[in-house]
Amino acid sequence: MISLKRTNLAMAVSVSLLAVITVIAVSKGAVEIPLLGMTEVQRDILLYVRIPRVLLAGLVGASLVLSGTLFQYVMKNPLADSFTTGVSASSAMGAVVAIMLGLGPVLPVFALAGGLTGLAAVYKISSVRGRVQPITMLLAGIVISTFASATISLMKFLSDDAVSSIIFWLMGGFQSASMGKVATLAGVLAASFAVIRRDYLSLDIICFDDTTASSSGVDVARLRRKAFFIAALLTAFSVGYAGIIGFVGLVVPHVVRLLRYVKAAELIPLSLLCGALFMILNDLVARTVLSEGQELPVGIITSSIGGVFFLYLLIKRKKELYYFD
Amino acid sequence: MIELRGIKARQGGFTLSVEGVTLKQGEFVAVLGNNGSGKSTFLSVLAGLRNYEGGYLLDGRDFRELPPPERHGRISLLPQMTTLNMPFDVFYVVLTGRFIHTNGLNYTEADIEATEQAMEALDITHLRGRQFNELSGGEKQRVLLARTINKDTSVVLLDEPLSGIDILHQHDSIRLLKDLSRKKLVMVVIHDLSLALREFERFLFFTGGTLSYEAGKHELEEERLSEIFGVRVNFLRHDKGILVYTEGR
Repeated sequence: MISLKRTNLAMAVSVSLLAVITVIAVSKGAVEIPLLGMTEVQRDILLYVRIPRVLLAGLVGASLVLSGTLFQYVMKNPLADSFTTGVSASSAMGAVVAIMLGLGPVLPVFALAGGLTGLAAVYKISSVRGRVQPITMLLAGIVISTFASATISLMKFLSDDAVSSIIFWLMGGFQSASMGKVATLAGVLAASFAVIRRDYLSLDIICFDDTTASSSGVDVARLRRKAFFIAALLTAFSVGYAGIIGFVGLVVPHVVRLLRYVKAAELIPLSLLCGALFMILNDLVARTVLSEGQELPVGIITSSIGGVFFLYLLIKRKKELYYFD
Repeated sequence: MIELRGIKARQGGFTLSVEGVTLKQGEFVAVLGNNGSGKSTFLSVLAGLRNYEGGYLLDGRDFRELPPPERHGRISLLPQMTTLNMPFDVFYVVLTGRFIHTNGLNYTEADIEATEQAMEALDITHLRGRQFNELSGGEKQRVLLARTINKDTSVVLLDEPLSGIDILHQHDSIRLLKDLSRKKLVMVVIHDLSLALREFERFLFFTGGTLSYEAGKHELEEERLSEIFGVRVNFLRHDKGILVYTEGR
């Protein structure tokens, strides 16, 4: 089949690009690291700073994209991702609570609890008989995000010691990468992917209305719960390890769809690879664009790119958005 | 095949009620009635998409006790309105009708073969590469009909399958459904009384949420139909069958 060939080619291209970008990203930075003949200091930087950071960026990119794609499937809404649904902000709220209580090690658990609460609220507000209204979802997402941000501000106000670290963390970035985090997130992502790849055919079928999907033999309610949970889980870990990084889960799957990879079996693996690629690139820019080893928070870059793209979607593809609806 | 006793299904202020009816394999049943009379609700109860009270036996077994995969393995439903929010091509849309025959992971050669046949039957093979959402209303309807038939179950429920389809393909489609009904139970919601009288043998009429009249082709009475539809229904009999002539209030 031609489409299979086309997909395999795209996968091969993405994997090679990812490999090349990873190598470049690992060697560039405040300290240049030659791939051959490095000193001991350079080797330590490579092993304990650079490699964990690049890997974490890739994993967070892939996780956010997978969560965004799943949100888009189950909400039948091209504007959904962890950021616009307010799940990122409510995960962050949960994470800040954990920091305040001095429970850093179980931070992802708090982030997940926060994220699921926010998600439940947004879903409840914006769905009418199981159908999520795209515009209402955006509004509900804004409300939940605002509420979560206000709560975070309040907590910052009440305790001033951990404040600056929270602010920097909230802007999004991979400064605190470690091999432990890389391993944990890799595990979570691999498990999520292993579960969801068994549902490719069902995910395609829930792109139909619920009546058609149910009578086709798909357990829509169960798939929706499962996808929501996985999406919230991936968001919680991403936010816990790298703060709020907006719009990645929105932009990447959209571009892959525009390239006409629309079946879940093509869309999901390709989006994952492109998400990793996109985030590693963004992080590379974030830590090399300023001179003398200064860094921009990566969230600033993704949110600017994402914001412009989001605007483009709203203006140019208005018709398609309603089509999608 | 399907036995219903004292069925009630509520939604908001609307109640569907069916006192009793038995439907068998090999029957080609037309479901008629004005808008909001309960036809679609009736089909969705049969398809297991709605809660109900009362007795519903499918192949002699209590429907409630059938696990959902088994229900969907026996009954297909073409809803009145279908939306799709991913730009799938026509071939893939029809192929997804085979889902219940898969292991959930892949479509097989047999599924692809069946899909080709279903597309041929509905005369949509030439549309295979087109995007579903870019088709005309009637073409979409034929694609969805092919998708439903592709599911290949023993009960086929179709909610206004002919809406928007041109006369040529209406004839083809109805003949196809009639052929199918030799081995299956096929129920069709239809508004065209003349077409229904020409092609169907058995009729279920709904008024105000109630299955109010049930008859074979030759037992139909103009008076009853006039009451049900709220217009004067006249039969004009001729050598090929019955023509229907209606007069408004």
